[in-house]
Amino acid sequence: MSALGHYLEEGGIATVAISLIRPQTEKTKPPRALWVPFELGRPFGPPSDPAFQKRVILAALHVLEREKGPVLIEDFPDDDPRGRPDPAWHPPFIPAGSAAGSDGSLAARLVAEIVLLRDAHQRWVAQHGRTTVGLSGLPISECARYVADWLRGTAPASPREGFSAPLMLRFAVDDVKAYCLEAAAAGIAKPSSRQLGDWFWNETAAGATIHALREACLSSEDERLKLIAGNFMVPAARVRGSG
Amino acid sequence: MTRLTDLPPAQAKRLAELECPDFATRPRVTGPALSRRRVAIVSSAGLVVRGENPFRGRDPDYRVIPADTRPEELLISHISINFDRTGFQEDWNVVFPLDRLRELAAEGTIGSVGQTHYSFMGATDPVQMESHARELAGRLKSDQVDAVILPPV
Repeated sequence: MSALGHYLEEGGIATVAISLIRPQTEKTKPPRALWVPFELGRPFGPPSDPAFQKRVILAALHVLEREKGPVLIEDFPDDDPRGRPDPAWHPPFIPAGSAAGSDGSLAARLVAEIVLLRDAHQRWVAQHGRTTVGLSGLPISECARYVADWLRGTAPASPREGFSAPLMLRFAVDDVKAYCLEAAAAGIAKPSSRQLGDWFWNETAAGATIHALREACLSSEDERLKLIAGNFMVPAARVRGSG
Repeated sequence: MTRLTDLPPAQAKRLAELECPDFATRPRVTGPALSRRRVAIVSSAGLVVRGENPFRGRDPDYRVIPADTRPEELLISHISINFDRTGFQEDWNVVFPLDRLRELAAEGTIGSVGQTHYSFMGATDPVQMESHARELAGRLKSDQVDAVILPPV
């Protein structure tokens, strides 16, 4: 973020910003920035491509050595090769009948789906040595149950001291998304973020649950819950009716 | 391929027209050759070490990420959901290129890597971050850091 660079430079530290949104950087006018033509969320480009990432970071660091100023914005020339879809990728198989859950409700389908994706998620963890699930601090099965309880309209209490119930809902939703997307990406294929997002938001019980929960919470009288549900659960590009 | 023009028009317009601070001064610190610089990462991705206090909203302060943090310990708690997280899930260097910095230091391209790295939550109003950022400059100096790379998310 370019504004941070301004404060650090005033404190005597040389900075170079990575810019994902060039118009913002042009307005903030940092001393040095490298604009990169990558999707939001990927400031250093493709995952698992150390050579490409190194070219990006070196391009940024070399801007530090330029004499030109007081504002210098350079452009990285190459697109992210992982931005393209991988036709070899297939989403995890979720048997329609077994995903129906004990009562066939969406909430029950979510809980069942998390169980069905367990093997795929374990393969992901074995493959990458990590998971990014964990923001809520709850095991994923409890995350799913917590989200499901919200959808059932029970407005459950926060399971974590010091965190409000709406905040825990946001963190649990983030964990459910991370779990499903990691499970879906297990294997040797290299799906694009759009492939994974299309699957999650259009084909899973988890995605349908979060859509439904957003709609339900938007009619709540709790302004904080409305704010979280309206802005921080479903990406703007995935909100139904957003085109 | 994934430029601002690839985003939904409403989101692209909001991002392009986002109010940004217009500073009266243009500070610009110079330094030694890259091969003698000590480099640290100050991210605005809302990064947090697992088990520590995640960003709850538009918190103005920062989180500390020691250089010995392992990939499995780093999480994103950024409030925005309008960016890809699958790249970070696969490889933390997409957002937090600590492995690349270590390689550059090992081959002598940069002098060294800072002992500590940091993350803010980028959706916060930058004016609210100011006192924290100025305090952070002192911490970076005490670690002998003389170059900071500022990745957004």
